[in-house]
Amino acid sequence: MEPISPSLNFRRLLQNLAMPLALLAICVFFATRESAFLGPRNLTQLIVEFSITGTLALGMFMILLTGQIDLSVGSGVGLVGGIAAVLVFQHAWPAPAALGLAFVAALVLWTLMGTLIVGQRIPSFIITLGGLLIFKGLFWLVIGNSTVPVARGDQDNLYSLLTTYYLPRPVGFALAAAVLAVAALLAWRGRQARLQHGLPVAPLPRLLLQGGFAAAAVLGLVEICNRFRGVPLPLVILAATAGGVWFLTRHTPFGRYLYAIGGNEEAAALSGIAVSRVLVGAYALMGIAVALTGFMTTAYSGSSTTTVGDLMELDAIAACVIGGTALRGGRGTVGGVIFGALIMTALLNGMTLLAVSPEAKFIARGAVLTLAVWMDVKLRR
Amino acid sequence: MPPLLAARALTKRFPGVVALRDVNFDLRPGEIHALCGENGAGKSTLIKLLAGIYPHGSYEGELAVDGAVAAFRSIRDAEAAGLAVITQEFALVDELSVAENIFLGRAPRRGWRIDWPEMHRRAAALLADFGLALAPETPVRELGIGQKQLVEIVRAIDKRSRILVLDEPTAALTEQEVAVLLGHLRRLRSQGTACIYISHKLDEVFALADRITVLRDGASVVTLDRTATAIPEVIRHMVGREITDLFPRHAPPADAAARPPILEVRNLDVAPSPGAPARLRDISFSLRPGEVLGFGGLMGAGRTELLMHLFGAWGHRAAGEVRLEGQPLRARSPREAIARGLVLASEDRRRYGLVLDQQIGFNLSLSSLPRFTVPPGRVDRVAEFRRNQDFFASLRIKAPDQQARAGGLSGGNQQKIVLGKALMTEPKVVLLDEPTRGIDVGAKLEVYELINRLTAAGQAVVLVSSELPELMGMSDRIVMLAAGRIGGEFARRDFHPESLLAAAMGRLAA
Repeated sequence: MEPISPSLNFRRLLQNLAMPLALLAICVFFATRESAFLGPRNLTQLIVEFSITGTLALGMFMILLTGQIDLSVGSGVGLVGGIAAVLVFQHAWPAPAALGLAFVAALVLWTLMGTLIVGQRIPSFIITLGGLLIFKGLFWLVIGNSTVPVARGDQDNLYSLLTTYYLPRPVGFALAAAVLAVAALLAWRGRQARLQHGLPVAPLPRLLLQGGFAAAAVLGLVEICNRFRGVPLPLVILAATAGGVWFLTRHTPFGRYLYAIGGNEEAAALSGIAVSRVLVGAYALMGIAVALTGFMTTAYSGSSTTTVGDLMELDAIAACVIGGTALRGGRGTVGGVIFGALIMTALLNGMTLLAVSPEAKFIARGAVLTLAVWMDVKLRR
Repeated sequence: MPPLLAARALTKRFPGVVALRDVNFDLRPGEIHALCGENGAGKSTLIKLLAGIYPHGSYEGELAVDGAVAAFRSIRDAEAAGLAVITQEFALVDELSVAENIFLGRAPRRGWRIDWPEMHRRAAALLADFGLALAPETPVRELGIGQKQLVEIVRAIDKRSRILVLDEPTAALTEQEVAVLLGHLRRLRSQGTACIYISHKLDEVFALADRITVLRDGASVVTLDRTATAIPEVIRHMVGREITDLFPRHAPPADAAARPPILEVRNLDVAPSPGAPARLRDISFSLRPGEVLGFGGLMGAGRTELLMHLFGAWGHRAAGEVRLEGQPLRARSPREAIARGLVLASEDRRRYGLVLDQQIGFNLSLSSLPRFTVPPGRVDRVAEFRRNQDFFASLRIKAPDQQARAGGLSGGNQQKIVLGKALMTEPKVVLLDEPTRGIDVGAKLEVYELINRLTAAGQAVVLVSSELPELMGMSDRIVMLAAGRIGGEFARRDFHPESLLAAAMGRLAA
């Protein structure tokens, strides 16, 4: 329900450009320090890391929209990835079955946690802080404080392929073309429907310009990936997740209710919204995001070890907030979250590339999170 | 003698709007001066300017206190000059006691410690002075709205404020509490305190004020002596047109009495929670299609609780039965009630009614989204937009378009959104809890017309109101509640303020 033709004023322009400019500044900074930053290999790695952070952030986005928070997802990512790894490596389960069971476990855990928060009226901050510690303990218990590879021997399986398989060049382009075609079709049909009912529409040149930009961005992304080995699977998973979350939040009653609950929970309940059910639903979806992220990040590191998932909840929250999601709920967009994840990932990836010390990395991460929340508070006024 | 407070040619501009234009106004020592005007007329802006919230330099024109130009840069400056502003949003700390609130920031001390006995002694004396039967140790969170208001006034008086500015002080008060408040204001006047009194309730204004200044569209239209004017003249100045009939209730459809009741409540007992003592006891009434049933009573009589219970939002039913269209109704959530065709428009629209950060359209359709949902679970936004547009236009919501933020609108327009949201669910029974609280005369009339349209279409309305004239003007029948019980039921020909009030208090005295 955003305004159809927002009047372009300078302030809005500046607000809209702040994030792209920040991203540009980060990229220029790292690229001048280390030319490999923009090399195909590092960019592909960056895209995989971005996909992992972005998927988790999209789950967190729906939780934050309702004004809740989930601090347990970092530990959960480790736990879910660990369960699947143990089943594959120690119990010789086929990878699809192992991933399926871990997925169901995540779904059940998060549904239970959501039910607990809603049913017992305990603040989500406390329940999920408990979850953070409990899941961490369970995680270490499951993997026995050791390193558990995601595949046996040198064999590839579905689990390990998650981050080592790249789409062949033509497939990548075909997929991108399909996504763009569907997006164009949706945009055109929406416009026709509005015109037919005499509703205001954006001018055609602007639409074409926006479409051109989007197409260039998507095809450019594929081309970057193709210069290395092709489009990595995590990017496809992120795109699918983003599409799903976008549809849910923009086009379904459920999504509208997330915004309403975050904006005014009491009014939402009195408007006939089943607040508890919607909140449990948001946590269940968070569970799915945790599972997908857990599989990808564990596969990316090749094995499940005690540090997998560490502090990822904070990266996810930071990505959301940087992207304009309000911590108090009721405000935010999928596009913003994706952008926030990109900024967060570029920052972490660049620092790793420059071999910045872990101490400095912690401090930088904390500074970015604080800065983002500070901006959230300022914008809120 | 110079006026205590004078405003000379005040103009206050916001980007794109002139909120005040050339406002002139003066306050004499020891007078009660009422400010009247529709919502959006500029009253709030004027108050914020007087209170130093809009600092000197952010407006044109000048303010003078005791004849000398006053340049308030902050609320502190205004307070130092003897102004105390009491608004609808209380400046009280809920978790602290009455005494702590009265002496907030200036507690009596013994050395570096707070002198608690002295504080409580002085607070008790002040409260007794005001005839308030309140222990100084009572936490403010336990007070009713009326009592909170009086505590704020006590604090202002003790700070030696010479000018009290009261913004809609009686919006949430019952008739009895209003009488208490007006009594105190008259007494303060006799002791030399001047008062600027803002209210939509003109009968109160006429019962209290010495002079009345009318604001319209940001300009001061006229200042009248109360003894030389009458309510119709003030209304004419406020709206710029004559309003002949304040409560234009149409008679219900002729066959209404013959129709079977749509809502029947029998011997209902409701407690806040299972096992707790009942707050509502032995409530029975019925409602027919096309009828407006009024509910009156003092604050705390249980009117809101009754509506919230019927709506599935409050309480545990200990006994009794509710039937909607002949079928038992036991809604466990508003969702169930709405699905059955019963909807509530709540009294506190900012807290319970609206998602203020969202657009008008978002709020209008919030209760009706399942109606617009098409496979695979997608909201048909074109259909939704058109339906919103119908309501936006027919409710005459004053905003550029339905994409405007709900939180930025005036009270009357927000109330229209709340009503529109309820009506979009196509209810059979509409529960209205104080639907005209704090909204201006013009918007009130539109709400009354809406009630007429609903009942003409065969929908039934339950109207809760603390304003007796409104209750008597708009209801076909009235039920008075007294301390959670039915105090009396009245047909239209038996509406007399005295008997209604007696019914509201009857069981209280016993």
